[in-house]
Amino acid sequence: MKRLREPLCILLLIFFLQSCAGWAKNRDYHPFDARELDKLTVGKSTVAQVTEMLGAPSTIVKLSNGNAYIYRRSLSKGTGLWLLIVSFGNYEKRYDQIVIFFDTKNIMTHYGVTLDADKAAYGLPF
Amino acid sequence: MCSFIVGSLMTGCVSYRVIKAVEGRSVPNTCEEFRIGTTTLQKALQTLGAPDQVAELEGKDVLIYQQSLLANSGLSFGIPLTDIWGSSFSFSAYGELVRYDLVFLSFTPDGILSEIVIEKGSRYPYLKTMFSEVKQ
Repeated sequence: MKRLREPLCILLLIFFLQSCAGWAKNRDYHPFDARELDKLTVGKSTVAQVTEMLGAPSTIVKLSNGNAYIYRRSLSKGTGLWLLIVSFGNYEKRYDQIVIFFDTKNIMTHYGVTLDADKAAYGLPF
Repeated sequence: MCSFIVGSLMTGCVSYRVIKAVEGRSVPNTCEEFRIGTTTLQKALQTLGAPDQVAELEGKDVLIYQQSLLANSGLSFGIPLTDIWGSSFSFSAYGELVRYDLVFLSFTPDGILSEIVIEKGSRYPYLKTMFSEVKQ
């Protein structure tokens, strides 16, 4: 056992000396505030009022009975870990999204909100 | 000294990597409560939040909720014999699998659910799916 101790210690030393780790963060930012939705009213608020409060949408989609304005931003976090002969990578991307539906008269009919970007996390792939 | 040399050489000879990438939030199971002909667009938006994709398809409005899960792994092994033998031996294997969890909801122009499709790609295990044959 004593004969193995020295080689094992050297291998462990190499293992840690040749290891490294890295983190990365990427934000695709659009400055809309979801709290502004409280000031809007379904069945009354217009496209003009919505864009005044939330700004220009990321995407507009034509629907069967009107349009959908989509506001989207994202946050990505990546983690890398290199341990001698084994390497691990983890990447997570989450979105904040607001989708507002308008009828043909440009009156807001529905909306959906998902605020999930802050849940993007660093980590390992298991 | 011998251990040091062997350990140092190993870094260039053998490597194994595991990469995971997740995009989007997990698709909720609550949509299983939805009923065709009765569930409204408003109810779907309240339950599931904002969809990842919105589109019009044959006069109906489609909402798609989606999460993609990428798994990548690779193994490489080599014996650097170039200085001794003139050539070296190496072996490598890589695999990448992208699976999708998604919910597809189709609504009539009046906002009533007309079609629902739920796909849970994440239930397929990595290795079994990678080595399975695609049936035509």
